[in-house]
Amino acid sequence: MPSPALPRHRSALPGLLLVAPALAMVLVFFVLPLAASVTGAFATEEGRSLANFAKIADLYLPDILFTLLVIGLSTLLIAVFSLAIAGYLTLGRNPRAVALLRWLYRWPLFIPFIVTAQVLRTFLAKNGMLNGGLELVGLVDPATASNWLDGRAIVFAFVWKQTPFVTLLVAGAMTSLDRGTIEAALNMGASRLRTLWDIVTPQVAGTLMTGLILSIVTMMSVLSVPMMLNATAPTTITADIAFRINAYGDYGVANALGVVSLLMTSGFAILYLRLGLKERT
Amino acid sequence: MKTTFATALAFGVSLSPAFAQELTVLTAGDQNMVDYVNEYLGPLFEAEHPGVTVRAVGTGPGDAGSQKILERFEAQAGANASVWDTDVAVVHEKFAGPMVTAGYLAAYRDAITTGSLVTRANADMALGAEVKGYVMPMFNSQTALAYNPAMVETPPQSYDALKAWAAEHPGQFGYNGIKGGASGVSFVMGWIYAYGEGDAAKLMNGPFEEAETGKWDKAFDELAAFTKNATLTAGNAGTLDMLAQGEIAIGPVWVDMFYSWKANGQLPEDFRLVLPEPGMPGQPMHYVIPEKAPNADLARAFVELATSPKVQAEGIVERFNWYPGIDAGHVQAELPAETWDKLFTDVTPDQLAARGKPFPIAPYNIAILEAYERHLAQ
Repeated sequence: MPSPALPRHRSALPGLLLVAPALAMVLVFFVLPLAASVTGAFATEEGRSLANFAKIADLYLPDILFTLLVIGLSTLLIAVFSLAIAGYLTLGRNPRAVALLRWLYRWPLFIPFIVTAQVLRTFLAKNGMLNGGLELVGLVDPATASNWLDGRAIVFAFVWKQTPFVTLLVAGAMTSLDRGTIEAALNMGASRLRTLWDIVTPQVAGTLMTGLILSIVTMMSVLSVPMMLNATAPTTITADIAFRINAYGDYGVANALGVVSLLMTSGFAILYLRLGLKERT
Repeated sequence: MKTTFATALAFGVSLSPAFAQELTVLTAGDQNMVDYVNEYLGPLFEAEHPGVTVRAVGTGPGDAGSQKILERFEAQAGANASVWDTDVAVVHEKFAGPMVTAGYLAAYRDAITTGSLVTRANADMALGAEVKGYVMPMFNSQTALAYNPAMVETPPQSYDALKAWAAEHPGQFGYNGIKGGASGVSFVMGWIYAYGEGDAAKLMNGPFEEAETGKWDKAFDELAAFTKNATLTAGNAGTLDMLAQGEIAIGPVWVDMFYSWKANGQLPEDFRLVLPEPGMPGQPMHYVIPEKAPNADLARAFVELATSPKVQAEGIVERFNWYPGIDAGHVQAELPAETWDKLFTDVTPDQLAARGKPFPIAPYNIAILEAYERHLAQ
C-alpha cells in the first residue's frame, strides 16, 4: 500500500540541508564581515560618529573622483572594444581572421592582474616599449618623453584585462541571435558597422550591461594595478584603504572608504536593475 | 600488546616532527628577511640546538607586515590564550612601542649576554615610546640618495643643494611619494626636518604638541612645487629600477637595497650614495619575544645568537649590507677591513652619526603623512 504523501516540511528538509552549508558560508564569511565593516566605518575613539567620513571628505575626495573617472573611462572603452571584437566574430567575412581573433582575444583572461601590472610597468616606462615604438614612428622625442605610469596606465591595464571577459559574454549572446535579422539588414544594403550598431547591439544590450557591471565591481576591488602602475596622486580608493591600514593602522577610515566604494558599486547595480526592469515592462 | 603499542608510540614519536621542538619566528619585511632566517640563522641555531627546528613565517613587506604581527598578538591576547603561537618576532620600530604598551612582550634584554652590547638610543626609545629591555635591534637601516654619477656631477650634500639641482634638471629627481614604501616617506620626513618651521628635535623625541603640526604648511607648499618638477616612481624598488634604466638621475633609497641591487648586478657598479644635510631617517628592526611565547628559553637563546658579534658581522653586515644592530665596535673586530669599508665608502661613519636621523615619533609621523596627503594629493 503506498504511503500517504509526506508532510511538506519533511520533503523540504533535504533541500534546506543542502543549502545550509552554502548559506552558512555566505553568512559567516560575507554578510558578517560586511556588517562589521559597515559598523566599523562609524566607530571612532569618541564613540559612533561621522568623523571617519569627514576625514574622507577632507583627504580623499579627489581620489574618489579619480576612481570614478578611471573606472568610467575603462568601462566605456571595454564596451567599445568588446562590441567591436564580438561584432567582428559575428559579422566578419574572413574565416581565418575570425578564427585567429577568436583564439587570441581570450588570452588576457588567464593572466592575473598583478602580472598584467608587472608587464605594463616595463611596457609603459619612460624607456619602455611603447615610447620606443612611438619614437620609431616619430611621434615621441626620446629627450622629452615622459612615462605613462599614471591614471592612463590603470585604464590601459583594466581595459586589456577586462575586455575579453565582456567580449566572451557578448559574443556568446550574439551567436544565439536570430541570424535572419542580421542577414535581412545586410541584404537590404546596411553596412556591417550599421548592422552591428542598429541591429545586433540593441539585442545584446542586456548582456553587455551585465558584463560591464561585473567588470566595474572587479575593477573597483583591484589593488595591485594602482599600486604598481600609478605612482602619482591622486590614486584609487583601494590604494587609500591599504594605506590607511598599513601606515596608520586606521581601520575606521579604511572601513568608511570601503563603504564609499560599496555605495559606488551599488549605484551601478541599481542603475542596471532599473534598466533591466524598464526592458521587461 | 602493551609493549607493541608502546613501541609503536615510541617509533611514532621519534619520527614525528610534531614532537620535536619547533621555534616559530614571525618576520615582517621583504622575502630577504625570511631567507635570512631560513637559510642562515635557522640552520646555525639548529646546529647548536639539536632536535630544534626553526620555522620562519614571513608576514609581508613594509609596515603592513608588522601590522599583521601586532594584530596576531592582539587576537591571542583578546582570546586569553595562555600560550601564544610565536616564539620570536621581527618587527619595525614603529610597532615595538604599541606592543610594549599593550603588555604583549617579555622584558628579556637584560637576561641575555648580548644585551649589554647594544648602545644606540633607538633600542631604548622607539619613536617616543620607551622599549628599553623589551627589544634587541636586529639591524639598523638607513635611507640616502642614490645617484648616477654620469648624470649628477656634484652630488647634493644638502636638501638645499638638491632643490637647486632639481630645479635645473626637471624630472631627473625621482621618489615614490608616501604610499609606495618607506624610502619616499623618509625623504618627506627629511624635508620636514629641513624646512618645517618647528623644532625637528621635538619631532624626533617628543613630546607631541598639536600646535607643532601647524608649522609645516610652507614646507609642504614648497614640497608640492618640488614634486611637480620631479618624477614619481612606483615603490622603493621602482626608484632603483628607474635609476638603473637611466630614467632618473637621483632618488631616495634604502642603503641595504642599494647595495644588494649592486651586488646582483641590477645597478651599475659606479652608482653612489649621498646622505644630505640635515639628514634623512633610518630605522632599526627589532627582535621581540612575546610574554607568552611557547619556548621562551629557546627564544632568548635564538636572539642571543642573532645579536652575537659574529652573526651580526657575517649575517647582517657581510651578507645583507645592513648596519649592525649592536654596537659597531664589537662587530668591526669580526670583519675584514675591506668588507667594513665597503659599507662606509659613500656615507662615512661620521656622516652617518650626524645625518642619520630617527623617524618622527608616532603622532607626528601620522600628522606629517596626513599633511602630505592634504597638500600633495589634491
